[in-house]
Amino acid sequence: MVKTIRDHAKGGALTETTFLVLLAVYQPNHGYGIMQFIDNETNGRVVLGAGTLYGALNTLVKKKWIRLVDSERDNKKKTYVITAIGREKAEEELKRMKAVLKLAASIVKGDGK
Amino acid sequence: MQKRVRRYFFDFINGQEKWLNDMAKRGYRLKGCGMLTYDFESCQPNAFEYAVIFAGNLTNARAKDYQAYIETMGFRTFTKNIGLKYAFGKVKWRPYGKGFGQIATAPGNYNNELLILEKEQDGQPFELHTDAADQYESVKAVAMVYGWEVMMTAVLFALTFLPAAVNSTIALIWGIRGLLLILGILFGRPMVKSVREAKHLKDESRLYE
Repeated sequence: MVKTIRDHAKGGALTETTFLVLLAVYQPNHGYGIMQFIDNETNGRVVLGAGTLYGALNTLVKKKWIRLVDSERDNKKKTYVITAIGREKAEEELKRMKAVLKLAASIVKGDGK
Repeated sequence: MQKRVRRYFFDFINGQEKWLNDMAKRGYRLKGCGMLTYDFESCQPNAFEYAVIFAGNLTNARAKDYQAYIETMGFRTFTKNIGLKYAFGKVKWRPYGKGFGQIATAPGNYNNELLILEKEQDGQPFELHTDAADQYESVKAVAMVYGWEVMMTAVLFALTFLPAAVNSTIALIWGIRGLLLILGILFGRPMVKSVREAKHLKDESRLYE
């Protein structure tokens, strides 16, 4: 329903919702499955609402980061899978997060300058 | 046992949602609804929970897609009207809609601005929007509807001061003004609440997702 991808203009940071949805569709998955995946893999820390997920899925399809699985187009329960562009975005995000983590660890743990 | 209740909610999101949940607590499950009616059937008290969401800013196709999607997530859905005008073969401009969602048609998305969702009571909160930015957008959309209604009421109120209207009998003109004032308050209260909530969510969305 709403645009949930708020890429940082320079840093390219994805929202957690966007990143988790991308991870959930590395294997073909449908709405409820995506919600379950995120709930399980984050041990209940992130529980996506159905409305929020709907907005995220539509935006990601529009940006061609994920796509509907062809054989499922007419099915009421739509199945999505990540695209090459989506994989690229997820890899970039992983790289960015690693860099942020490294910086945070060096400062928070006291071994920063 | 079947029960039919006639009711209209000026506070069409929170007020209606609270009432439906109160009915469910008393053992009434929603079976269907009309423009001013709600049909219930008996059930175990607290067996079901309801949420009311606004879909009146979407195109007819998008609203149907959203409803179908919501149903695949395991919710039962009902469509519900905001206004009280019966319409068929009508096209209406909705200033609070998004893109082509500004055009409402009957049959179509006119008088189907709301979705009532039902889920079995499972102890989990009925949260449809969990992302702060998403919550802000959904509350803002509702605030815009209330804002539009308040503005229209204010315009009608102002029209009662035109010379042609002032020539009517004093009792009639003050009767209309009184009625418009009441409508303004009824729409104004939820508008203020929605605007405050939207402001709070906007601030939160700057800090949290």
